[in-house]
Amino acid sequence: MKEKNNHTKRFGMVIDLDKCTGCGSCMVACYAENNVPFRVDETNKLDSLSWLVVHKITNGKPYPNTEICYLPMPCMQCDGIGKHGHSPCVSVCPAVATDYDHETGIVSQIYTRCFGCRYCMAACPYHARKFNWWDPVWPADMKKYLSPNVSPRMRGVVEKCSFCFHRYQQAKDKAFYEKREELYEDEYQTACAEACPTGAITFGDLNNKNHAVYKLKKDPRAFRLLERLHTNPKVYYLTSKSWVRRAGDNYLANEEPGKIKQEMVHGH
Amino acid sequence: MKVARRSFLSLSLGVAAGVTLSPLPWKLMDDISIWTQNWPWTPVPEDGEISYAQSICTLCPGGCGINVRKINNRPVKIEGLKEHPLNKGGLCPLGMSGLQYLYGPSRIQSPLKRVGKRGSGNWKKITWKEALADVSEKLYDLRVSGRPQALACIASTDRGTVPKLIARFLTAYGSPNFIRASTAFDSLEQAIYLTQGQQGTPGIDIENADFILSFGTGILDGWGGASRMCNLYGKHNSTKKIIQIEPRLSDTAVCATEWIGINPGTEAALALGLAHVIIKESLYNKDFVEYVSFGFDDWTDEDGTVHEGFAKLAGSYPPDKVSQITGISKTKIVSLARKFARASKPIALAGRGQGSVPGSIDECLAIHSLNALVGNINRTGGVSVIPGPDYAKWPEVKMDVAASKGMQQPRIDGAGGKQFPNTQFLLNRLPEIINSAKGESPVQALLVADANPLYTLPDTAATKKAFNRIPFIVSFSSYMDETSAMADYILPNHSYLERYQDVPTPAGLARPLIGLAKPVINPVYDTKHVGDSFIQIAKSLGGFIENAFPWDNYEAFLKESLDDQWDELNNKGFIENKYDDLPAPLAYSFNTVSSKFEFYPTLRNNPKNKDVDVLPAFTPVPIEGDFQKFPLVLIPYDSIRLAGNYIANSPFMTKTIDDTVLKQQTVLVEINPITAKKLGLCEKDKAVLITPKGKADVKIHLYEGIMPGVLALPRGLGHTAYSKYLADKGVNVNDLIGPIKDPSSGHDMAWGIRARLTKA
Amino acid sequence: MNETPLIPAGVKRCSKWQFSLWMAAVTAVLLWGVYAMFLIWYKGLNQTNMNNAYGFALWIWADLAVIALGGGAFFSGFLTYIIGKKELKNIINFAVIIGFICYSSALLILAIDIGQPLRGWFIFWHANVHSMLTEVAFCLSCYFAVLTIEFIPLILENPKIDKVPFFHHLGHNMHGIMAIFAATGVFLSFFHQGSLGGVAGVLFGRPFAFREHIFIWPFTFFLFTWSAAACGPCFTILVTWITEKITRKKLVKDSVIQLFAKISGWMIITYIIAKTIDTLYWAFVTAPGLGFKLMDFYASPTYNIGLLFTEIVLCGFVPGLILITKRGRENSFSLMTAVILAVIGVCINRWVMVLQVMAVPVLSFNEWYTYMPSWQEIATTVLPVAYGLIVISLAYRYLPVFPQEKELNPID
Ligand SMILES: Nc1nc2c(c(=O)[nH]1)N[C@H]1C(S)=C(S)[C@@H](COP(=O)(O)OP(=O)(O)OC[C@H]3O[C@@H](n4cnc5c(=O)[nH]c(N)nc54)[C@H](O)[C@@H]3O)O[C@H]1N2
Ligand SMILES: Nc1nc2c(c(=O)[nH]1)N[C@H]1C(S)=C(S)[C@@H](COP(=O)(O)OP(=O)(O)OC[C@H]3O[C@@H](n4cnc5c(=O)[nH]c(N)nc54)[C@H](O)[C@@H]3O)O[C@H]1N2
Ligand code: SF4
Ligand code: SF4
Ligand code: SF4
Ligand code: SF4
Ligand code: SF4
Ligand SMILES: [Mo]
Repeated sequence: MKEKNNHTKRFGMVIDLDKCTGCGSCMVACYAENNVPFRVDETNKLDSLSWLVVHKITNGKPYPNTEICYLPMPCMQCDGIGKHGHSPCVSVCPAVATDYDHETGIVSQIYTRCFGCRYCMAACPYHARKFNWWDPVWPADMKKYLSPNVSPRMRGVVEKCSFCFHRYQQAKDKAFYEKREELYEDEYQTACAEACPTGAITFGDLNNKNHAVYKLKKDPRAFRLLERLHTNPKVYYLTSKSWVRRAGDNYLANEEPGKIKQEMVHGH
Repeated sequence: MKVARRSFLSLSLGVAAGVTLSPLPWKLMDDISIWTQNWPWTPVPEDGEISYAQSICTLCPGGCGINVRKINNRPVKIEGLKEHPLNKGGLCPLGMSGLQYLYGPSRIQSPLKRVGKRGSGNWKKITWKEALADVSEKLYDLRVSGRPQALACIASTDRGTVPKLIARFLTAYGSPNFIRASTAFDSLEQAIYLTQGQQGTPGIDIENADFILSFGTGILDGWGGASRMCNLYGKHNSTKKIIQIEPRLSDTAVCATEWIGINPGTEAALALGLAHVIIKESLYNKDFVEYVSFGFDDWTDEDGTVHEGFAKLAGSYPPDKVSQITGISKTKIVSLARKFARASKPIALAGRGQGSVPGSIDECLAIHSLNALVGNINRTGGVSVIPGPDYAKWPEVKMDVAASKGMQQPRIDGAGGKQFPNTQFLLNRLPEIINSAKGESPVQALLVADANPLYTLPDTAATKKAFNRIPFIVSFSSYMDETSAMADYILPNHSYLERYQDVPTPAGLARPLIGLAKPVINPVYDTKHVGDSFIQIAKSLGGFIENAFPWDNYEAFLKESLDDQWDELNNKGFIENKYDDLPAPLAYSFNTVSSKFEFYPTLRNNPKNKDVDVLPAFTPVPIEGDFQKFPLVLIPYDSIRLAGNYIANSPFMTKTIDDTVLKQQTVLVEINPITAKKLGLCEKDKAVLITPKGKADVKIHLYEGIMPGVLALPRGLGHTAYSKYLADKGVNVNDLIGPIKDPSSGHDMAWGIRARLTKA
Repeated sequence: MNETPLIPAGVKRCSKWQFSLWMAAVTAVLLWGVYAMFLIWYKGLNQTNMNNAYGFALWIWADLAVIALGGGAFFSGFLTYIIGKKELKNIINFAVIIGFICYSSALLILAIDIGQPLRGWFIFWHANVHSMLTEVAFCLSCYFAVLTIEFIPLILENPKIDKVPFFHHLGHNMHGIMAIFAATGVFLSFFHQGSLGGVAGVLFGRPFAFREHIFIWPFTFFLFTWSAAACGPCFTILVTWITEKITRKKLVKDSVIQLFAKISGWMIITYIIAKTIDTLYWAFVTAPGLGFKLMDFYASPTYNIGLLFTEIVLCGFVPGLILITKRGRENSFSLMTAVILAVIGVCINRWVMVLQVMAVPVLSFNEWYTYMPSWQEIATTVLPVAYGLIVISLAYRYLPVFPQEKELNPID
């Protein structure tokens, strides 16, 4: 029996900041899934390759009123202005090395096409894009754990979170053999969402009423980072803390988050 | 000449134009661009058939289920096992990076024999035959010399068939000195034993509790199985209340419903203060206290002596006094006590951070008494005792004369002796005992299995000194850790993904759950299961020792031990007991003298140890250092992104560490901005941190989330061994902190040390 | 045998010995740059201090700056061949050489800057027509070709080359059609200068750079083209003046310089008014709409509001006003002050549009990013300067660059 594929997909994520403990498993899962290399000194966070960065943000209040929130940031897979794939990074790439996939809404990165001009990095306000400043090196026998599903990147190119696109392809292949057009919700899940021990990350098709993310993105706690820039991200966050919500965007002193008129809040 | 030059030039220009307009240069450019994608040093992983192998993660006592993805039988990714009841598909960062341990540069790839000076890193590769023969010979000689008790073995746990096999070896050999590393569970275990008379693993039913009063326990910082705790938090964070009491905003405190800052080391006073309010306001569980407890009220013994009861002890901790001690406001103490007592399933937790230091028994007893006050003992959502695994009976060890003589000697670490009758193991005392021994070291041969005491024990310098006095050290580690680096022989164990190992009920879990770790890949290097090494050594020692091991190998021993559980475990990976199997409320009869829960732990009445009060009064732990010279206090903290114990950080975990924790090779010490300002220190400044035990170069991290006057350093850095991906990063906080002996248990109860900080 | 001299007839040049010494000194600097360049190609961009926050840095600034400063070439071509300001023929050769140096440097810097230099080809092969950089790359390459073509006839005028009849005729014919190339050059320049303005302006994720409505198109394009046209001539005048100081000769008549300066002055004034309007709209409408107040962008010690003042007032209005007044132009001190300020102004503008864009934190929890170039970056940025000095020295020595030189410096 064939199910009808009657809508465009917009894969997205909802990250519940009220659940995230900052454990960092999502980061490690992403490294392991995507053959992300590592170096002896990774403490310069500005040249470290990490497709997902768990930021630690604070309300800045003195002891004992200090509060902290962990904020995991993968690529926001921005739909951009007008939701036609005009993501900040895609439109600027001179060589179409990064592109917007209209079937899934995923912003791709073709390492072998990228020539390393880094214009896309300049364009991305989320710092989701990382440059391969060094040749990747795996010491000892560690090359043996590399996965064939994601090609290791060479020096001199940009990489970023792909929403584990290879998993989508594998799920599609499986569905194809089983003569299905539609994927089950649990069939395509990102490595970070799967690994998260608190279940803070929910992944799915934002356009599909049956997927958990569809409802979660409408949660009153939901917001997106830098919505005012019209980047139109497909990564949503949930928080019950007003200071966290405020930290998610820029506001003038007199402005209240949530009360700012925005054309594109919540995408569709 | 002119014509020739002119036509040559014309021709050249023509050719140039022709070539430019032809596809040649354009195609060539494209080819060149593509070449750069085929640099031979960028690996191309081999593709192949996908398969999955299920096992249990043993990188910590958490016992999570893992699903290893393989390509052509080559493990490429570890994922959480969705079907596993504890982690349900999630994994902590340590478990997630497991393949880095399998293939990592610090793996020991064959048996090694030290050739240079100890610790110089000069090794000779030897065969297993040579390695086993050499070690057996040494052990044989020691035994023949009449001192089998001078053999000691250190392991991280005594649970599971591997430590049981090792302990059995020691018994047959004639040494009582099987020593397990201690954790906060040891204190809780002892508190439970003293009050309830029951031996076993403490079961803490976080799953069903609804109000968690944590006295600094890092329930989201790696305690009690990181993946399990995270899973529970994610599922229940809106329904469970977590009150986190500690001087530093840890990740647990970050996630807690409420964080209450407390003067470090005053937790016991707070517990007694809360008990005071609960008793005064009559909020305690009357049924429990009246019918199944002893020593709540004052009581008179057979001699007519009147003994103070717990209620009276608590009576001397009124809120204003406790507020003075702890720095917590009176109103907060009162409201916290009421909230705790009125919750439907409240639970009070003792043990700081991941629980790597046992802590004070008084403190643990005071906190455990809160659980008893609300009657949350041996019932769902409370604290209970889980009996050890039900192994099939092994044939009894027959001892020869040497063995029985050896076994009658007192333990070297003093556990179970006259001074510390209720304690089983005291690894922390070993360095002191060896160092203070007149003449030769009481330990003449040391076997270390799944443990890294040279890193994890407090006061590293003293430990190192002690180890230097031990003439013969054998490490069974898979990795070139600090202890292996100091060994004479290394008989490398398989890594956790290459071996069988049973995983008894994970620490803290309130229902029995047994797991079986299975090899997911054939051994990558020339290693041997530590169980097999011991069996083979036993066989070459011959006689009664050989007879104690009638098994061909560890696998046979394991199969026999697990008996009828083997098939299910081998197929499914774990056997779970449901909550329905838990005892009904108050079903236990306590095995104490009074057959009741003893607020007044009679067993603690030790005529041999007059320093110990029976009731858990608050006595500040005498942390080292003079206030004038060391005006600040240093506490260690645990982070879920740092492995602070015998399994060291993976490169992936190290990669996730914030640059406010480690910057290049220097650790950052956390300090409140107010304190820093007084010392003239700014963010990222270089400084020297000095404690009575040592000093370290650090950088400053201003952190609002730490109490003024307190400094914090993470556990898990400052390795000196392993590989360049781990060594020489920051300091080992154990270099700076010394152990403090609890007068009643002998365990280490140090929670910190006095310190001073000067700008570099 | 009576060799044809290498040096053009009727002009005096310094001794071979003096010239060699000078060339050796500049070549040493060049080689330092070349060494750094090979280090970067061999070891990769880890030789720089750029990072994931600072993906664009010193080089891209240098690129934009030299392109702006090279604007004297297309603008003098425009004035000479299209508007018909024939006096400017006396400086256009030099303007073309400076332009050639600037654009060849720009291309070299780009080749060093990209992580996979050999794949730079992909810009052309897999061009994304929506990308500003694609447009820049195409126009830059084409315009460089045009500048080369404009430079060739001058090279062919070297007495020794000119003796070859083929080259003589080639040079003659090329001169004849130079207006066409000049016009092409102007056309291409309008495009790529404009696109370079767009490079920052389209970054809607970067509120410091981003402009909306007409302030993105045509404004960002217009401002870059206009500022290059305005300040490029100032750079030509500056380099001419320096050359005159070094050679201790008058090379271009004051009337020519002043005409060039006057036009430049009006360009600067009009540009800076437009820039002010752009800045005001951005500061009071665009940025607040994105949740930023102006001072958020100037909250770092390095990037403080003084920078904006310097760019717009000190290095914009001031030189503009000096250059449009006759007295200002005629006094050589005020003229050169204005010229230098204008050059600094356009360099600051390009700096700000590259480096400050990267430095400003966009996420509320990010900090100001700081960056200090590595020596390799500095060496490779100095490399084009050394290269430029060499080309100018050679051109000046061997080519009849300044048509008025003979008249102004009669031998005997
Ligand atoms: N002051 C202080 N004392 C502590 C602690 C502390 O943090 N501070 N921590 C306490 C705690 S929580 C613990 S657990 C103990 C442990 O600390 P220790 O007991 O001192 O650690 P070791 O057990 O010595 O190290 C075990 C060795 O087993 C080896 N090994 C090799 N392969 C494997 C493998 O595949 N799996 C396993 N499981 N091990 C392998 C490792 O290389 C490691 O060197 O120390 C306790 N003592
Ligand atoms: N990310 C991350 N996660 C971690 C860690 C990390 O570093 N990073 N650390 C891990 C480690 S090492 C630990 S210790 C945990 C914290 O969790 P810990 O629970 O503190 O772990 P254990 O001490 O191993 O718990 C086992 C205890 O159970 C008791 N026990 C149970 N059964 C028996 C029995 O039959 N007999 C006896 N005598 N005792 C019994 C023993 O006291 C033993 O010490 O956190 C773990 N999780
Ligand atoms: S987050 Fe950055 S990289 Fe990802 S789509 Fe948006 S702009 Fe592009
Ligand atoms: S760095 Fe690569 S992906 Fe980014 S814009 Fe340049 S070519 Fe495109
Ligand atoms: S979605 Fe995949 S690629 Fe993106 S951060 Fe998560 S694991 Fe990494
Ligand atoms: S794995 Fe989950 S809980 Fe851990 S840091 Fe990532 S999102 Fe947060
Ligand atoms: S909590 Fe422990 S057992 Fe579970 S995955 Fe982490 S390291 Fe492994
Ligand atoms: Mo542990």
